[in-house]
Amino acid sequence: MASIYAPSLEDSAEVKEGFLCPLCLKDLQSFYQLQGHYEEEHSGDNRHVSGQLKSLVQKAKKAKDKLLKRDGDERTDGGYESFYYGGVDPYMWEPQELGATRSHLDSFKKQRAARIDHYVIEVNKCIIRLEKLTSFDRTSMDGAQIRSLEKSVVSWVNDQDVPFCPDCGGKFNIRNRRHHCRLCGSIMCRKCTEFLPLPMAYKLTSGSREALWAPGQTGSPGPVTQQTLRRGSITSISSVTSVLEEKDEDRVRCCHHCMDALLRYQRKLEEKDHVPDIVKLYERLRTCMEKVEAKAPEYTRMAESLNAGETAFSLENAAGLRMEIQKYYELIDVLSKKILTLGLKDELQPHPKALQLQRMVRYTATLFIQEKLLGLTSLPTKEKHEELKEKRREELEKRAQQERQTGLEAQKRRLENEKNRPALSTNGDVPAPRMTKAAGWLPQSDTLHTRSELDDPLLQQINNIESFLRQARSANRSDEVAMLEENLRQLQDEFDAQQTSRAIRLSQRLAEETDLQQSQIQHLQQREQEHRTHTTTSSDLRDASERREDEEDERSSGSTHLSGNSPPPPDTHTPARNPFEELEEKPTNSQMANGKKQYNPFEDEDDEEEEDTGNAKSPRNPFEEDCEDGNPFREVSAESPAASNNPFDDEDDDDDTIEEELLLQQIDNIRAYIFDAKLSGRSDEVELLSENLKELQRTLHEQKRKK
Amino acid sequence: MNVTLAVKQYISKMIESSGPGMKVLLMDKETTSIVSVVYTQSEILQKEVYLFERIDSQNRDNMKHLKAICFLRPTKENVEHLIQELRRPKYSVYFIYFSNVISKSEIKVLAEADEQEVVAEVQEFYGDFIAVNPHLFSLNIQGVSRGRSWEPSVLPRVTQGLTSVLLALKKCPMIRYQLSSDMSKRLAESVKQIITKEYELFDFRKTEVPPLLLILDRSDDAITPLLNQWTYQAMVHELLGLNNNRIDLSRVPGISKDLREVVLSAENDEFYANNLYLNFGEIGTNIKNLMEDFQKKKPKDQQKLESISDMKAFVDNYPQFKKMSGTVSKHVTVVGELSRLVSERQLMEVSEVEQELACQSDHSNAQQSLRRLLQNPRLSEIDAVRLVMLYALRYEKHSSSILPSLMEELNRKGVSERHRKMVQSMVEYGGKRVRGSDLIAPTDAVAITKQFFKGLKGVENVYTQHQPLLHDTLDQLIKGRLKDSQFPYLGPSSLRDRPQDIIVFIIGGATYEEAFTVYNLNRTMPGVRIILGGTAIHNTKSFLEEVTLAVGSGGDRTQGRGRPQSRR
Repeated sequence: MASIYAPSLEDSAEVKEGFLCPLCLKDLQSFYQLQGHYEEEHSGDNRHVSGQLKSLVQKAKKAKDKLLKRDGDERTDGGYESFYYGGVDPYMWEPQELGATRSHLDSFKKQRAARIDHYVIEVNKCIIRLEKLTSFDRTSMDGAQIRSLEKSVVSWVNDQDVPFCPDCGGKFNIRNRRHHCRLCGSIMCRKCTEFLPLPMAYKLTSGSREALWAPGQTGSPGPVTQQTLRRGSITSISSVTSVLEEKDEDRVRCCHHCMDALLRYQRKLEEKDHVPDIVKLYERLRTCMEKVEAKAPEYTRMAESLNAGETAFSLENAAGLRMEIQKYYELIDVLSKKILTLGLKDELQPHPKALQLQRMVRYTATLFIQEKLLGLTSLPTKEKHEELKEKRREELEKRAQQERQTGLEAQKRRLENEKNRPALSTNGDVPAPRMTKAAGWLPQSDTLHTRSELDDPLLQQINNIESFLRQARSANRSDEVAMLEENLRQLQDEFDAQQTSRAIRLSQRLAEETDLQQSQIQHLQQREQEHRTHTTTSSDLRDASERREDEEDERSSGSTHLSGNSPPPPDTHTPARNPFEELEEKPTNSQMANGKKQYNPFEDEDDEEEEDTGNAKSPRNPFEEDCEDGNPFREVSAESPAASNNPFDDEDDDDDTIEEELLLQQIDNIRAYIFDAKLSGRSDEVELLSENLKELQRTLHEQKRKK
Repeated sequence: MNVTLAVKQYISKMIESSGPGMKVLLMDKETTSIVSVVYTQSEILQKEVYLFERIDSQNRDNMKHLKAICFLRPTKENVEHLIQELRRPKYSVYFIYFSNVISKSEIKVLAEADEQEVVAEVQEFYGDFIAVNPHLFSLNIQGVSRGRSWEPSVLPRVTQGLTSVLLALKKCPMIRYQLSSDMSKRLAESVKQIITKEYELFDFRKTEVPPLLLILDRSDDAITPLLNQWTYQAMVHELLGLNNNRIDLSRVPGISKDLREVVLSAENDEFYANNLYLNFGEIGTNIKNLMEDFQKKKPKDQQKLESISDMKAFVDNYPQFKKMSGTVSKHVTVVGELSRLVSERQLMEVSEVEQELACQSDHSNAQQSLRRLLQNPRLSEIDAVRLVMLYALRYEKHSSSILPSLMEELNRKGVSERHRKMVQSMVEYGGKRVRGSDLIAPTDAVAITKQFFKGLKGVENVYTQHQPLLHDTLDQLIKGRLKDSQFPYLGPSSLRDRPQDIIVFIIGGATYEEAFTVYNLNRTMPGVRIILGGTAIHNTKSFLEEVTLAVGSGGDRTQGRGRPQSRR
């Protein structure tokens, strides 16, 4: 429930109102100070306000949990215990920045660049030469022709200059003949030569070829590739003969160094394009995990809200999201299993390290599933959710009622004052400010700023509700918004009606007033005196409301004279009413009861109202009809069960499906546990769990049959 | 000032800056310990690091789809291995982090080896120490001294370790050292030299009160490592041996396979974190509570889950249960083994006499209880030896010392010659001649009266009377009463204010009892943060080895004897 109130608290910080004392409007820094202040200063004040405060306190307490938690987090770093011990537990030392570091990357790169440039030039030279060497049709030429062509590309080292093989040191003679590397032109013996097969040469040069031809001359690569293909088939056939003849028809003779450089280059090319299976699977696995990471918090929020009985999210949506997340979990499970078994069926077993990598990926995936899936809050069943909703609605109603009550009472009193003022000049000072205080009990209420302009409590209340509405909207609490809107509408109707009838009555009163006033004043003054004495005696009996005695007195005296004759309300107030109000109200009412019965022209109209609203309305109030229609308690209670598709109606029908949902959910969970238990080799648990699983499945089955 | 956090931050920074994708962590022997002490495997796995390899391992395959994060000490061998690695890279990209300062020339050699441009990062991250607890680090080096001076190869390593702590915590301290120890002075100078040389690195934001590095020598307090311990962490180390927060339980009779080696890390074991510094009795109670909790959560063996709500309760409790079961079985085993050893070796009796020897000054009482205990046939060899050692250190110069007859007693008990010789070595290592502080008999009036009052009050717990010397030293340091004549500053400047950030380093190894003391000081002294380090964290066994290595045999011994005299 704490989450419901949290937004308003946060908002209050933005509006810069903070923890205002409901009675003296003093801004106190924290909830504790407010509580302390209230207990100190206003402990004896009117219980009605204390009732309201109490609900505020309850809200604040709920929010407090959240706040404290937040505080706690900060404190773990700040050293909570430091206040206690004087020192700080090393585990609580404040966070520190990353230690010193020093980068050598720049100097490393500089050093490397010098070296790499040289290397890259070498390789590029080889590639370019190779391309030239392979660009003519070798098969249709004889050896000498090829040789001369090759010599034209790379100048060969003079035979006389090299008496020994530079690689192995063997002396060249008739039997140990000189060979030239076709790429760099250097000389080595036969043993030290390497051969670069033509297909590989084409592959190596294809990159640069494409790069060379690429933009404008799109036509050129075509024939080249065709040529390569043809060449490939021919070489395979003629390979045997060519080796025997020692004709470099399908290969290029080269030295170690060039070969090495080219091989390395080739490997790099291959790796660039080659994506192993494990990487593909792993990437999918990670995206799944990321999705879960993104969705899980949203779901948790939904589930929490639903479990709290709110209606901001629909149960179906949440269930859908849950399904989606579970799908991802399954996918993670499947993918990681695939990774685990990669290459196991191949003849050539993968390297043990590769297997280890696969195992670790799988292990991480299972850890992930364990941690997140098992932490997934379960949703309430439909039935349960309805119950929760109902409960929450009631609570909200209660709150709204209180709001309303405040408004109505305030209005009543204001009217009383209005009425009193001309009649009793002695009484004109206190009530109005008191009312605003009462109306301003909520920290976030905007009326505090505007109370001077808005004398009418109804306007104040409307204003209040508008501000709540804004807050509720910004907090996306659709159910609250609906309720508040309803309230607002009613209040506005009421206000409009008030304005019109006031105008009518004003003219009426003008006529009456002149002759009635004099006798009235006398009468009322007399009554007032009587009443004063009465309240002081009765106040001795009352314990808690001393501090507000004066105000109370005035208020009751006001109502005594003007509203008068309301019958003593039955002990059973409306059930939603705050018990504290009851305490406070009863004496007032009894006062009224024995205070006066004689004066009120509208008395008969009030009777049925009294049952519902207590003495919330002044009999002098001309808007009884409005109020009856707009009665918040009735209205809401009549409407909302319908709106919340009455839980009691569908309950029976839903019963089976609900069970089924729960069962399915539980089966899912248990499966996860089994999987987990198997993984860590706790066979006894596996047994136990599988038994449970069987049982669940049986139950599920039976239920399906029943259907 | 949190050393654990410092290392963790370094490592997570390394992993983060390598981006997404599968990764392998390439380490050497020492960095493996450094990492494993602060991170569990599952924590690291979550950061996409799936393989942990030693740079010197030959059995590594080409895995071009992995990124390599290399965390290495900047040693010659490692650089050589790295060169080989870069010449034939097995992984796609290399992020290289050295745990300490590396020379320009080595960077050059590495750069030249990187022909395939696989290196994406070269940095120094100064995590060159084992962060045991937030306020405790070790360098895991045994045998730092030969005689009374540094083993030549060790001093550079210790300097590196200590400076890396300073860098990781971003502290450029003033240095004080123990005058009576030449090794302390040498280390202090060596650290200062590095600070001067790498002044750019040590250019941190100045704090109002500069941090303080205090360098001490183990030989000043040889008694602390000889005592049996009764707080959980210290006791586990004393009786079972904690190595990088791991205990080897393989010698425990009837141990199950998955408990052969267990990890005790306060970072992710709540029970351990809460009980680290509690004494054995309290742990017994706590473990009982833990068991009871566990029993409640445990699904009954043949429990039928009859209703949906039963099932739901079970399912909801299951994860907690699972998590708990690991912790419970681990701690129950450990505590069970501890209590078995306590009763088998009669450690309560032994410890009582140890504490009497260490803390009280009644020679006749002490000698009587010692003799009586030595008669006990169940007394283990090591306990007998350590008792005699304590006596020898405590009553070294006592007029009516019974050491010779105690030695005979040891001989009669069949204690090996090696162990008997150690008694003499111990006196040589930590005897009166060597000590610079008043380990045993306090000389100033305040301390004497304090001791007197302590004697009047009696002791709360006979097994934990002993306060390591470090407590007094630090207490005096914080109060500004530590004598400059005993612990001079290196260099001309000295600290005028009360110190705030203190790094204490003990050459020859710290103990968990001292770690506990420092922990308590941190908690009770407002505005002071202290971290403790040592070349190692000792228990009695490892300390005896350290002493044997230090005092050495034959020629070394005479050398060791001669030096301090000539110095004075």
